[in-house]
Amino acid sequence: MTLSNEQLQGRCERFLSAQPHMRLLGLRVVAAQPYRVTIELPVQERLYSCEVNTYLHGGVLTTMVDHASSAATLCALEAFELCPTLDLRIDHMARPRQDQPLRVDAECYRVTNSVLFTRATLYQQDRTDRPVAYAIATFMRPGAGHTDPDFKALIEGEAP
Amino acid sequence: MTEPLNDVLRQAHEQGEYQPLIDLIPYARIIGVRCERLGDEMIFRLPFNGDNIGNPTIPALHGGVIASFLELTAVFQLMLQQQAPTLPKIIDFSVDYMRAGLAKDTYAMCEVARQGRRVANCSVTAWQGRKREPIATARAHFLLGNG
Repeated sequence: MTLSNEQLQGRCERFLSAQPHMRLLGLRVVAAQPYRVTIELPVQERLYSCEVNTYLHGGVLTTMVDHASSAATLCALEAFELCPTLDLRIDHMARPRQDQPLRVDAECYRVTNSVLFTRATLYQQDRTDRPVAYAIATFMRPGAGHTDPDFKALIEGEAP
Repeated sequence: MTEPLNDVLRQAHEQGEYQPLIDLIPYARIIGVRCERLGDEMIFRLPFNGDNIGNPTIPALHGGVIASFLELTAVFQLMLQQQAPTLPKIIDFSVDYMRAGLAKDTYAMCEVARQGRRVANCSVTAWQGRKREPIATARAHFLLGNG
């Protein structure tokens, strides 16, 4: 990986900004380095339901982990490729607390010619003692020339 | 067990109008989940909404939104068929993506393979054109009751 952490973070931030649903959730890139990224969901009152006393219910964590895992693939490839998710599994171990931001550390731990493999940990203040969830996912590489060139330029920061 | 949930669910069954139940979960409201009852079957619908786009080049729905729609379909299906309804708690969730979710309405149905006292096992399918050409399928386990 010849890209610096700053270059990778810029790539991840442009990728996030290009996706309307990510902007809607208010996600932000905390840090990026080769093969790894950390993304944060700030405390969001509108995702708390007082009627049924639940926070981040019904797939918010899945959306977040899908995005973070996808961003981790951006940190594992020299040139941007838009890799669709093949599958994703998430194990939920604790209910998220509504008074703390939620972070996800995602890592692309294996790159092959066709497939990328990722794993991710969701946590709040204490990463090691009490993770909120673990997730693994696989992504399909589209092959050379199959990523839209305008979108590639946008994510690589080369847009006019 | 929460009183509002019981009240909302009873009214939903009586009136055949399920939106107040769906709106109890903020993320369901945000992505815009709808529900229709056909006989004894519940079909869930996610109307196209530009805010749910992940990939702007196709454009395609965000994979996380599709997964969440599948998860919410299972949650509501379980709530609607429980005798003493509680909010099912997700244990694990596994989604397979088959096709890009295009800029149009998406539908989903959930089959509960087994519902025990404490755990339910669900399979969910999401499609846009034909149901036998799904855009994604998922399996999930939920903890029921106050366990």
